[in-house]
Amino acid sequence: MELPSLDYRARSRRSLKETPAVRESVTAATRSFDDRRRAAFAGLDTDGLREWAEAVKSHALTGLHDHLELAEARLEERGVRVHWAETAEDVHAVVAAVAEEEGVRSAVKAKTMLSEEVELNPFLERIGIEVLETDLGEYIIQLLDEPPSHIVGPAIHRGIEEMRALFHDRFGTPPDATPEELAARARSVLRDAFLSADLGISGGNFLVAETGSVALIENEGNIRMSTSLPRVHIALVGIEKVLPHWSDLAAFLQLTAKSATGQPVGTFVSVIQGPGGSVADEPDGPEVVHVVLVDNGRTRLLADPEAWEALRCVRCGACLNICPVYRQTGGHAYGHVYPGPLGGIVTPGLIGLGRASPIPFASSLCGACGDVCPVRIPIPALLHTWRGRAVDAALTSRTTRAAMTAWGYAGTRPRLFAGAQRVIGLLPRGLVRRLPLLREWDLGREVPRPAERTFREIWKGGIE
Amino acid sequence: MTTGGARARILARVRAANRTRAVLPHPGPLPPAVEPPVGPAGPPEAFGDRFRAAGGEVVRLRSREEARSWLETFAAGFGSVSLCEGIPARLRPPLPELPPEEAELGVSMAVGAAAQTGSLLLTSREGRRSQLLPPAHLVWVHARDISATLTEALAGERGELPATLALHSGPSKSADIGQIMVTGVHGPGRIVAAVLGEEAAPRRDVTRPGNGPRGDGGG
Repeated sequence: MELPSLDYRARSRRSLKETPAVRESVTAATRSFDDRRRAAFAGLDTDGLREWAEAVKSHALTGLHDHLELAEARLEERGVRVHWAETAEDVHAVVAAVAEEEGVRSAVKAKTMLSEEVELNPFLERIGIEVLETDLGEYIIQLLDEPPSHIVGPAIHRGIEEMRALFHDRFGTPPDATPEELAARARSVLRDAFLSADLGISGGNFLVAETGSVALIENEGNIRMSTSLPRVHIALVGIEKVLPHWSDLAAFLQLTAKSATGQPVGTFVSVIQGPGGSVADEPDGPEVVHVVLVDNGRTRLLADPEAWEALRCVRCGACLNICPVYRQTGGHAYGHVYPGPLGGIVTPGLIGLGRASPIPFASSLCGACGDVCPVRIPIPALLHTWRGRAVDAALTSRTTRAAMTAWGYAGTRPRLFAGAQRVIGLLPRGLVRRLPLLREWDLGREVPRPAERTFREIWKGGIE
Repeated sequence: MTTGGARARILARVRAANRTRAVLPHPGPLPPAVEPPVGPAGPPEAFGDRFRAAGGEVVRLRSREEARSWLETFAAGFGSVSLCEGIPARLRPPLPELPPEEAELGVSMAVGAAAQTGSLLLTSREGRRSQLLPPAHLVWVHARDISATLTEALAGERGELPATLALHSGPSKSADIGQIMVTGVHGPGRIVAAVLGEEAAPRRDVTRPGNGPRGDGGG
């Protein structure tokens, strides 16, 4: 069944109109992330680092099959059970089979965007497994029954007052509780879950092929706990997450943390080789570890002669943080797990341009995202690529197409162009604002008063 | 569990996607210029600065006697302890032992550290629960095991990797509530790095050819 197209225009309009506080929260949070990113790179050879990281990822992607086979072999040597999933349904099937085999009743989850992408939580609930998000931000949005608004800070669209009210309602904390009190309450609820859950589910920031290592970055300790305390651990890892060598890891850990939050490295990093406990002759740790290598559209993106570069993405969120369009609404307007410039270049590849066509247009093409990308993905150029394809496939709105055709027609006929300019200049403003295309444009801006003399007239008169 | 079919199809698609592309070369090790050298005082000092900046506590204990008397005073602030496996007797706080779920303090021994990122390297071989569950965490680390960069520190662990190698670079923290930083969200809200002994004899910094002397006077 063909799902409906993502309705970015209506959603963003609704967000700005109905929840103006979201814009304030998201803008404040992303500016703070971005300030810290700048400070973290100050004094470093940032361009040298980005070029190096780009080259490592390009090497990894162009030889991906070899790296994946090596990673699989290394993981299996350490007793990890490796699965391959082509689709979201495949991921569900693997998780369901593991849950069945291990008698899993409850699960704790570390923040993983891939699990959002394959909608794992609703599936787990359907098969009767209680699942708790353990990242504080993810836990809050799980309580609110909302998707994440940002890939690093899932709850940045919610202000502290809303969180106070939520915790007051759910847990009876004082209405004026401090952030410390709220966090302490979440900690105590989730601590019980960590100690009783049978299954921990995580994503994976990197998969080191040479050593078969899944590396995870975080600040709270919930990923360490999710991957250490329950008896069974499942890691969902996108096939593009490969790093060829152990010696690549240190730099990527730093690059990702600096780009995401401005930290030298995440407060906690877990580098997982396999099961612990009796299997590895260690005092504790999970006895069973499964790694699910997930495609879900990634090979389609890899086959794309231009858009494949998007697979270098390390999911730091720097392009979201600097994007003037993302800042207006946060992630919900995009209707898919990856918002902002990242979404604009990845989503059409993952779910098809047919459904995702509005997303590459949610950009002013200012280019800031391309400047901050730590793996030098040419984001603005790829947004252009997807836009061009959307136009070619007649996926843009009929008004836009008609207006652009008219613009193109007039633009190649100087006399007609000058005439049209004069006519529009003479029309009353109120009427201009109701003309097609200009009407759309006017929704977010003031239509400017036309100049006394047009540029073309000035040009004809001669410029000093 | 997953059919071999999915594996074969994914790998075939990956191969097909790359068929017309040459494998781009790996750029080799990270150029030295992108990781700034540690300060002239050497890795243990630089580690301390970085670790404190992230909210951790650091104490430098050059002799056994210093370590013993510091530990006695430090332990007085806690009612119970949970020890990771293999902590030498002289480094165990004189406190009643409780399971990690209940103890006020966890104690572990780092296998290494990185000055530049302020990271302690912890192995799952000593057990993870005492590293994670108590609200305070004391980590012993030998000064000689502190590397300048994370690249060097991880290179040292490459040989026999444990089930999980972890980096702890400060107290557990989150800014998910209204962008206000809160510590001790899930993991320990207090982490103390106790740096033991003198650093290793100065050696030529082989990972930074052409980077010149560190300018630390003593070489």
